[in-house]
Amino acid sequence: MIARTLVVALLLVTALVLQTALFPAVTLFGFRPDLLLLIVIAVALHDGSMAGARVGAAAGLLVDLLVSQAPVGLSIVVYASLGHVIGLARPYLATDSVTAPLLLAFATGALGTAGYGLLTSLLADEPTTTGLLVRAALSVGLYNTLLAPLAYAVVGRLAGRFPLTGAPSRE
Amino acid sequence: MFQRRRARILLVVVLLSALVLVTLDFRGEREGPLEGLREVATSVFRPVQDGVTILLSPVGDVADRVRELFAIRAENRELRERVEELEQRRSSMRDLARENDALRDLLEMRERTELETVAGRTVALAPSNFEWTITIDVGSDDGVDRDMPVIDGDGLVGRVIQVTPGAARVLLAIDPNFSAAARTATTGEIGSIDGRGGDPMLLSMLDTDATVEVGEEIVTSSFDGGVFPAGIPVGTVREVGEGDAGLSREVDVSPFVDFTRLDHVLVLRSTAVDELPPFEGTEGLDVRRPGADPDDGAETDEDDGPDEDDEGDGPDEDDEGDGEDADDEGDGEDPDDGEPDGNAGEEP
Repeated sequence: MIARTLVVALLLVTALVLQTALFPAVTLFGFRPDLLLLIVIAVALHDGSMAGARVGAAAGLLVDLLVSQAPVGLSIVVYASLGHVIGLARPYLATDSVTAPLLLAFATGALGTAGYGLLTSLLADEPTTTGLLVRAALSVGLYNTLLAPLAYAVVGRLAGRFPLTGAPSRE
Repeated sequence: MFQRRRARILLVVVLLSALVLVTLDFRGEREGPLEGLREVATSVFRPVQDGVTILLSPVGDVADRVRELFAIRAENRELRERVEELEQRRSSMRDLARENDALRDLLEMRERTELETVAGRTVALAPSNFEWTITIDVGSDDGVDRDMPVIDGDGLVGRVIQVTPGAARVLLAIDPNFSAAARTATTGEIGSIDGRGGDPMLLSMLDTDATVEVGEEIVTSSFDGGVFPAGIPVGTVREVGEGDAGLSREVDVSPFVDFTRLDHVLVLRSTAVDELPPFEGTEGLDVRRPGADPDDGAETDEDDGPDEDDEGDGPDEDDEGDGEDADDEGDGEDPDDGEPDGNAGEEP
């Protein structure tokens, strides 16, 4: 369990480093992907809502502390909620198909970005226009879709090697 | 079921914690405990971030280069389109320059002829392969009438053969039905220039012994009662035929006008041979012109030479002059006889 926690933490930190060090130079329509959200979704799809909410909370805290200037807690709300919801919806999703995880990556990327944008515009002093929100949501959704296969593969391999104790079955 | 419940509880706890954090951070206004936590996290994480950034900067540079490449391609495409646009504009400028030259020539020609003119533009060419005509955009409303000569900046174009209020059809000088009096510019040898359906035109010299040089300029003549004013450039002699036993000598003439590129033309509205002003001191004299009232014919007969009654009598005193011109009577077409025809009656 400790090893798994460490591995997931390392995965989140790596994703955060890539997101802050590499992807600012490799943007899509001027927007970066949300790698941490991808990791959260991948974990939730693999291990369920409990793991999704936990990893989401951790990822959110990392983002809030290291990346965002918005009040601490906003990313936690977004990531943990999405991780939980995706984990809950897992039995109803055809996770073995190719298109469903990709569509999920797009939807969560767009929803997460839009939700975070809305929250920051409501709670922080960062006025955001609807046009910017839509563009950011669509771009991040698209970017996450492109990176989703890689993220799913990495998370799947790590989760297979360090299985969650008492993780619920997919069936 | 138990897992789901636990997950739900966990989510509620997480969300509540997050809201507490948000509230704390919001109230702390950059000085609360969370700000300290943020600073610690940043200071721990910064070296890692810096190191990774340095390591990955080449990757970022590559991405930048790739993006730059696309930008350059787009810029290149834009520049190509711009170049094409400018090329097209240059072509149209050339066309404008050419048109400007043609109009200058036309203006020059207009000043040279000193005749009243109407400027027109070619709007249509003859639909038939055996008819060399053009339609111009000026007609009777502009004062254009049948048989009026048409010229352009290079020279003789043709004559008007059909007129409507807003347009006129012009028979081109190269049409086989076209014929005009012409002469050589340097020696004044008279002939008739005819169209042959293209280049060259045919100049039939009346004097078969006349000396005509290749390259000599041919202009119109008002001889033959002329539709055309004298001196309009027609073309240059390309080839001189052998003087045979025929009535005329055939000369090939290359027209000055490019009949395939007719655009702006001038219709000459003035009559071919303007009425000359009376000589000084002749105001009191009774001067008759040809075609005047027939009742006055007896009086003019004396001036015009022999009448029918004179034929059998041989030359009388009045006819002495005519008798000397016996040779002229033979050809009957001596230019000297023809050209002043219109003026004969005006001589005192």
